[in-house]
Amino acid sequence: MEIFLGIDVGSVSTKLAAMDCRRELVASAYMPTRGQPIEMVQRGLAEVKSKLPPDAVISGVATTGSARYLAGVIAGADLVKNEITSHAIAALHCVPGVQTVIEIGGQDSKIIIIRDGIVNDFGMNTVCAAGTGSFLDHQALRLNLGIEELSRRALTSTNPVRIAGRCTVFAESDMVHKQQIGHRTEDILLGLCQALVRNYLSNVGIGKEIKPPVVFQGGVAYNQAIVRAFREELGTEITVPQSPAIMGAFGAALLAHEEMSHNHKVSNFNGFGVVETYYHTSSFICKSCPNQCEIAQLAQNSHILARWGGRCDIWENQPDKTGP
Amino acid sequence: MPVTMPRMGNIHIPFKALFEGLGIDYIMPPPNTQRTMTLGTKHSPEGLCIPFKMTLGNLIEALELGADKLLVPGGYGICRLGYYFKTQAQILQDIGYSFEMIPVGVSERKFLGIMEIVRRLSNNAPWAKIVSSFRFGIAKMNALDNVERKVHRVRPVEAVRGTANRIYARAVAAIDRAPDYRGLKTAVSGSLAELDGVARNEARPMVVGITGEFYVVLEPFSNLDVENELGKLGVEVRRSTFISEWMKFSLFLNPLGINEKKRVQRAAAPYLNRDIGGDGWESVGEKVLHAGKYDGIVHLAPFTCMPEIIAQNIMPHTEEQIPVLTILCDEQLAKPGMLTRLEAFVDLLERKRRVAAGTAKAN
Repeated sequence: MEIFLGIDVGSVSTKLAAMDCRRELVASAYMPTRGQPIEMVQRGLAEVKSKLPPDAVISGVATTGSARYLAGVIAGADLVKNEITSHAIAALHCVPGVQTVIEIGGQDSKIIIIRDGIVNDFGMNTVCAAGTGSFLDHQALRLNLGIEELSRRALTSTNPVRIAGRCTVFAESDMVHKQQIGHRTEDILLGLCQALVRNYLSNVGIGKEIKPPVVFQGGVAYNQAIVRAFREELGTEITVPQSPAIMGAFGAALLAHEEMSHNHKVSNFNGFGVVETYYHTSSFICKSCPNQCEIAQLAQNSHILARWGGRCDIWENQPDKTGP
Repeated sequence: MPVTMPRMGNIHIPFKALFEGLGIDYIMPPPNTQRTMTLGTKHSPEGLCIPFKMTLGNLIEALELGADKLLVPGGYGICRLGYYFKTQAQILQDIGYSFEMIPVGVSERKFLGIMEIVRRLSNNAPWAKIVSSFRFGIAKMNALDNVERKVHRVRPVEAVRGTANRIYARAVAAIDRAPDYRGLKTAVSGSLAELDGVARNEARPMVVGITGEFYVVLEPFSNLDVENELGKLGVEVRRSTFISEWMKFSLFLNPLGINEKKRVQRAAAPYLNRDIGGDGWESVGEKVLHAGKYDGIVHLAPFTCMPEIIAQNIMPHTEEQIPVLTILCDEQLAKPGMLTRLEAFVDLLERKRRVAAGTAKAN
């Protein structure tokens, strides 16, 4: 059985999606990254392997997300793609006529405008992470609620309070203020969800023409209160795919399939053996010029596999060059 | 009593030629680095733009090396940059430096103004010598821009990544060293021939126009070398702003009533019919002109730059359609974030092109 694998290593969570050649999802894995992208890729591969039928053969791998290059080296990716393209491809596959993709993840949020089946424009949060999953997590923790419970409680509100949503710091102090004068928790929670949606639309969505069908992806799309706030704010139906959090990984798998069938290539996949491999990461400060770039390197058995992080290319292009 | 000036792209090279030709003592600031940015940011009000911060950093680094005459742009009618020298002088005094600030008029008496300043710095050198040194400086500037234009075309299609950059770095050094026209000619023709001979791949590159604010377009440090990153993604950049062109018009042709920007401004007219300071009017015009001609546009703007923010908000509404990616440049701009956006932008352009060619699959 031919399998195409997509690996999405984000700032907060790591997702894997395995797809067959009919482009149906066969297996998936989802786990928190916890600052350990390498270990999570290994664990994710082990989990996916256990869910795949024994005759599965990996015919293509693509990585995406903010650790896409690192994950790409470890898995032996055939394609390394940015998360904007991956999410767009996944949305197009699930809802063919989609015109707008809203994606809210752990630390970034994007909007992708699609017309006639191709990406026409996109936007991404630049200077501010207000309204992303990490902030919701933080608030749930502060109120001693599970993240699922936050969504459930918010939905019971009939009288949401107005929360200042432009900045997470002010949103939090506004929430504390509202709570201290006696507003009900569910009203504050729904108010928060509405504030995040307003913030998203006025930051990421500014200047973009949001047309239905609208698809909402990313981990935050599990939050039904946010979905409801989007529906009310935009006045249109919002489609949430079955597994919104793994859409980036699924998009990567679709891209791997496209890449491999288009070019008739043999996959570079390093095999599930990488689960057992020990990788060593380290970093140093380049002293070649006063820029003082921090160079990160990935090694296996003291053999340097890759280097990243400079303003210029002197380390990136020469993994064999001896570091300090 | 060495003179210095802020850096911007390769502009220090022709000025070095001018100063050397006239025996003017000078110290050029060291190349832009993180230290320049850190110094500039530390001593600048936070809301000012990256051109202010970087040039302030340059002046501090040159003062540290012993320069004490600061040649800086000044004037009205551009944007707040015209008044930057006053603020920078105040900041540098407060730090404790003593220096003489010499504003070079960029709004009026441009050519004569510069000539008079140069004459004073050179202790009244004969006019003939000033003119010939000036011409040699301009020749170096033209040479640099000609080589750079060629690099823009070779970079996306070179078979071995980094080849064009290596030739370019050597060419810039050779042009800088060239003592006379003959040396300059050898340096340029040698580099151009070398670039022509670079082994290339078969790709037909995407073509992206680079537009936006003058300084961030011309100073690679401030835009994280966006042209090089696009080149690595297989994109050929076409920049409309080159220092040599700007000098030619600004110094010689504009005073004669020839305005090279007329065409761009006319193109912008249905959407923006007046100067809004800086290069905002031209950014809108270039979007209109590039539509249908290029695959996309990368619009570079300093964070907090009002003219470019106005332009950015007008651009999506023009009838002439072409994808635009705006990148706001400041000390917070980080490479991974910029690369994600550039990669997604290039994907967008490639899929558009494939669909246009009718070879795209269902998705």
